[in-house]
Amino acid sequence: MTDTFSSNSLKILDKDLNEFKNKYIDNLTLFKNDKRAILGQKFHSLICASIKGFNTEKFEKSLEENELKNWLKLKEKLEIKRNGFIKTEYSFLVKNFLNKKPYYLTGRFDAVFKEENNIIIYDWKTLNIPKNPENDLQTIVYLYCAEKIYKTKNIKMKYLSIEKQISEEIAYKNEETYRNIIENIISKTDDYKH
Amino acid sequence: MLINANSNTLKTEILINEYLKLIQSGVEAENILVLVQNSKKKKEFINKVKEKSPEGNIGNLKIFSFFGLARDFILENWALVENSISDETNIKIIPSLSGLEISQKIIKDSIEEVDFSGYNSKTSLLHQLFRRISLITLNDLSKEEIKKRAEILKEGFSNEVNSLINIYKAKTINLRAFDYIRQLNVFEFLYKKVKNNFKYVFLDDGDEITPCVLAYLEHIKPDIKEFFISYDPKGSSRLGYLGAINVDFEKFLGEKATGIKRLNLRTENEALNIFNSVKNDKLIDLKTIKTKSFLKRNEMTECVLSDIKKLILSGVKPSEISIVTPNCDNFLKSEFNKSGFNFNFISKNEKLNENKLISYVLELLKIINDTKNMPISPYALKGIFTELLKCDKKEAIKTIQEYIFKSKFKNTSIFEILENKENEKFQKLVEIYETMRFKLLSEQIYKIAEEFIVFEKEIKKDIIKLNEILKQISDYETVFGDSTNNYELIIQLENTIISENPLHDEEIDENSIVVSSAQKIIDYSLKTKYQFLLDVSSENWLKQDIGPLYNAWVMQKTWSKDSFELEDNIELTKDRTARTLYKLHLLSENTCLYSSVYDYLGAENFSGIDKYYKYNVELNAKTEIKPIIPREDQREVLNYNGGLMSVSATAGSGKTTIMLLLVEKLISGEILGNIEPKNIFVLTFMESAARNFKERIKAKYPDLKELPNISTIHGLALRILKENNNYSLAGLDFDFEIIDEIKRNAVLSEIIYAHGISSDKLDLYDRAVSAYKNEISVYDDYQTSNRLFLKVFKSYQDELKKQNLIDYDDLLLLSLKILKENKDVLYYYQDLAKIIIEDEAQDSSFVQQELIKLLSGKHKNVIRCGDINQAITSTFTNSDVTGFREFINNSKNVVMDRCQRCATGVLDCANNTVKYAQKHNIKAFSDLIMKPVENKNIIDKNAVTKIICDNEEEERAFVINKIKEILKNDSNATIGVLLRSNFAINKWADILEEKSIKTYKNSDALINNPVYKICLLVLEYIANPYETGILKTIAEELYRSGYYNFETYNYAKNLKEPIFMTDDFNEQFWWDMNYFLFKNTYSIYELVCEIGQYYFSSGKNAANIPMVGAIAQKIANSSKTFENTVQKLREIQYRNNFSNIKFFLNEENDAKASSVQIMTLHKSKGDEFDYVFIPELTQDNLCLNVNDYKLKESSTFIQKVKKDKKSDLELKKEIIEENYRLIYVGITRAKKKLYLSSAKNYKIYNKKRECKISEFLEEIV
Repeated sequence: MTDTFSSNSLKILDKDLNEFKNKYIDNLTLFKNDKRAILGQKFHSLICASIKGFNTEKFEKSLEENELKNWLKLKEKLEIKRNGFIKTEYSFLVKNFLNKKPYYLTGRFDAVFKEENNIIIYDWKTLNIPKNPENDLQTIVYLYCAEKIYKTKNIKMKYLSIEKQISEEIAYKNEETYRNIIENIISKTDDYKH
Repeated sequence: MLINANSNTLKTEILINEYLKLIQSGVEAENILVLVQNSKKKKEFINKVKEKSPEGNIGNLKIFSFFGLARDFILENWALVENSISDETNIKIIPSLSGLEISQKIIKDSIEEVDFSGYNSKTSLLHQLFRRISLITLNDLSKEEIKKRAEILKEGFSNEVNSLINIYKAKTINLRAFDYIRQLNVFEFLYKKVKNNFKYVFLDDGDEITPCVLAYLEHIKPDIKEFFISYDPKGSSRLGYLGAINVDFEKFLGEKATGIKRLNLRTENEALNIFNSVKNDKLIDLKTIKTKSFLKRNEMTECVLSDIKKLILSGVKPSEISIVTPNCDNFLKSEFNKSGFNFNFISKNEKLNENKLISYVLELLKIINDTKNMPISPYALKGIFTELLKCDKKEAIKTIQEYIFKSKFKNTSIFEILENKENEKFQKLVEIYETMRFKLLSEQIYKIAEEFIVFEKEIKKDIIKLNEILKQISDYETVFGDSTNNYELIIQLENTIISENPLHDEEIDENSIVVSSAQKIIDYSLKTKYQFLLDVSSENWLKQDIGPLYNAWVMQKTWSKDSFELEDNIELTKDRTARTLYKLHLLSENTCLYSSVYDYLGAENFSGIDKYYKYNVELNAKTEIKPIIPREDQREVLNYNGGLMSVSATAGSGKTTIMLLLVEKLISGEILGNIEPKNIFVLTFMESAARNFKERIKAKYPDLKELPNISTIHGLALRILKENNNYSLAGLDFDFEIIDEIKRNAVLSEIIYAHGISSDKLDLYDRAVSAYKNEISVYDDYQTSNRLFLKVFKSYQDELKKQNLIDYDDLLLLSLKILKENKDVLYYYQDLAKIIIEDEAQDSSFVQQELIKLLSGKHKNVIRCGDINQAITSTFTNSDVTGFREFINNSKNVVMDRCQRCATGVLDCANNTVKYAQKHNIKAFSDLIMKPVENKNIIDKNAVTKIICDNEEEERAFVINKIKEILKNDSNATIGVLLRSNFAINKWADILEEKSIKTYKNSDALINNPVYKICLLVLEYIANPYETGILKTIAEELYRSGYYNFETYNYAKNLKEPIFMTDDFNEQFWWDMNYFLFKNTYSIYELVCEIGQYYFSSGKNAANIPMVGAIAQKIANSSKTFENTVQKLREIQYRNNFSNIKFFLNEENDAKASSVQIMTLHKSKGDEFDYVFIPELTQDNLCLNVNDYKLKESSTFIQKVKKDKKSDLELKKEIIEENYRLIYVGITRAKKKLYLSSAKNYKIYNKKRECKISEFLEEIV
């Protein structure tokens, strides 16, 4: 049984225990070269390169017209924020206990910025921002973990849609609530063990 | 912190504790670099960190395998690389960090751009280049360092290779595609440009580090606050072609290493003992290591399985046993899987379609993407329908039959047929074909999987493989984009061997016995209570570190010598072996070694690791074997005490027995003092004689781990070529093959056709090529003046080179050349060859005698044994009887002139032949006259019957009646019909068979082997399930051999419709045949093993199963379909061997007693029969007078290419002399009676013609 969860795997676990088992425990899923996912990766790489201060002009030559337009807008915004930049592509691993057994939450912050007294966790989406971001498991897991990492409650999660050029910001709420949501889902794996 | 530790310690735990301490002290995880050997160890490290960490954030872990570090680095900093590439046509925001398959394609394309003419083979070229590129990169070699090494090695192709590597590199940059080796180059470029963020470095298994990773550590060293390194100075098992380097970490860190507690002292001491023993040439002598040796490999695997069974029954868990072998082939897999235990095979290299599911997906893809409307193999369709679509079996076969039937008349697409079927799955298949065939291959696979594959836990392994192939295809599509041709890509995928991907970690099933290579066991630090080392006599244990384009030793970063000698290779290989065996032993509590004299193809094993171990057995001869008491004339041979000795032994004098006794005396140390089996070389004329010799010694000393070197001269030459990478001294690649007779004929045919020479001259050219090779080896600067021949010869040689082949003559000549030109190699064998014994010395060729002379140069102990009177190969082979004559004069000659085989009348006949020749001044014989042995020979003055018939019918009737009479009185009698020529064999077989006399002809033909015969029949049935006639033959054969009873045979005989259409569930035969029919496997090899193991599970024939499998697989590799393969297996049925694979023969007497043996006089040498018939003794067949003999072109043609040409008279004399000896050989085969006959006229080309009777019959008998 796996003891490590990402927001994606928690979403699936929440939705369908069997699917979770197939995908994360038995590894019975097929590799798919998803075009949209590749596009997403491409933008993430661009953003990271840019944040790290690499020259991205050559990269830009490979973008299609529409992509380039979106990118340049985004790039502009990133430039402004440069001062507050803390980290990019930060993989976290947070340990917790549920019924005395350890479990781990893992994920990757696209970028972390400091704005005034707030830690802002950025997450870029190629197209759509979660419909109900406040209750989205990614928001919950990320905010919960960010608090453990940065040891402050002044944290916000910010989603940005690259194509739609819209954003949404959610502030950290309550550790207990987050933890309950997460652990409620994790305890579903008990059903499987039985 | 530097700790000196191996896998027998808690080194990793100690490192992890230090790591956690650092984190707790406030250091960020992302500032700590952890380097471990591979992905599996990375996973373990991470899991332990997770487990031991307190609640809360653990951090951004930077834990990498040696190769993973480079990968991560490139992904993080790719923009820097892209920005430094001038090309703007193929900009990539994300590079393709792909598998070796992509590089393989790129290298293949690059090869096209470089002129490699003169290089042996293209397949090996690719392999060689991979190794070279990998070594250069892993060792971080600069241009100057490469140049220096090319000089040391006197490399022939270094310029070509360098320009090829440059082209390859440019292409990878252009495509932005980097495999894990190429990633290291990019990594090296990058780390020098990027600011280092690491403050601490942890390195586990530091002894396996490669120079390129070490160079990185050197680079960041100034920034590092502290290193934490574990290493084992005796480790570095990956030295050599895997590129590890033995680093002095004390010097690197400037601190002393500290030792830590060993978990198991016994294991530690034993492992040290092993290391030191190997290094210091002492035998590993440990009571805890058990040793078992066998003759054949299947005997070995049988024993392994039975030992496993015992352990499991005694409560040992499967996970407590590991099996270590370099030869994890299909036969082993199939034998093991059959046993019912769970095995987990961790293979390093396997073909993608070795997975059944993948193979059917690929077959289906081929059909979908075929644009040329190629015919489809029914066998492949059956697999797709029953295995992938899971259709009803009967329906599947019926549909296929419909397809076969319709395509007979017009080109039919399978989809036209499926369209009209109601079956939902067929409909889906048609839909996929129609909607997907122009789409990307990866999308097609995705769709097929979605429609037909049920994702269950049971097929987890298949899904892993399916994902691998999907990943490969996606990589391919990403890198090569639109230029991808689907069909070509499938073909390439089918042939791609997935090499070890260091970034991928193998999951080990906890309830199974792991079967793996030693390196994998070490890399994974897989500890088990029981470790079985298999095939320890196989050379594959010691990896090939040298090839024409690479030398893993000289290409080491640390290489400092100006030359590379055999001694270096031996020492370095030994050093790595010591490290490997040491590391291996640390992982086991109980070890057992298993070895076999022969490998699975019946070839002799040599150069294994068994030589490092003392076998814990007493050398006790098996006492139940009756001791042989030598006769007076034989005893002198046994009194041999060194030096040169010749033994002139007449036919039937018990020569073989006495040689065996002599070898036994040598083994037991009675002669020449302390001699080991490896110092004894025995050369036989025939392969079968060598095998027989070995089997007899093994039977007498079952515990003897190492047999003397008993082989034909070709076997010895092959060993010299292969051992210690000597082949590279002759400019050969490690995978050179010996051309077999059939292929040689094919190659030569094409060449002589191309030169406008008539095809009936093939034989002449065949022999002339061989003769000429021997001439030019003797006379260095000789060249024949025959221009046409020279052209043919050169084309032939070029063709061999191109295909990486050598012929039997080359085998001898090249080994001779290596010995002559490389003193170190020569001394190696001279030291080894303390005594050489040669059998059939009268047939020894010039080259063979040269080899013996060279090899015996130091110890000068040679015994050559033969009978000049039986020299019958000199007119058509390169044998040279004069050498033996000279040797007799220059050595102590022992004469064994007693013949205890033949009845006295037969002896008289043979002696009269000798006397007659002497009287007529023909120098065919030595003056040896055979004498009988008291109380042994049958006294029968009338043992010889001569009959001259008026016509051939009469002669035949005489032979038939006599045979019937003999068999009536003595059903166990052995009878031989000896003939002058090969083509008469079939004629006489037909004559006898017609009269219901069972014959046995040409005992070496493939089809005469029961395994071959039954497997072929069952395969033919699988290919034609509608043919009930084949089933009848199968049942009949197996009824005769006692496998099925009469009722079964009767059932099969009366089958009216195809067996799979019936419901005869209560018939065993029904179950068996349906099982095989629907046993869809990925390879024909597996199928043959399945059939073979079912019908021949034990006994002599079991050893032949893998050989039949290998033949079938070899044919399958060059055939398009299963049906083609089966057809070709039938076509080659009468060949003596295929690809030099020779079956183990049955006990000779089994076959002999049950049938009349028909063979040529030539072939009968060494054989004996109670009754011998030699018919057709006409003058044409056996001319004894020079004046009556007309020379044939077959004799004169060879003279044209020789330096010293013989006159026609000399040639005639030679032939006449050999005819005398030939009949002499024939006579002396008879134990009880000899029947000599001829007719006055024979039908020749349908015309009756008068024939002169041979002088032999008229005058001598």
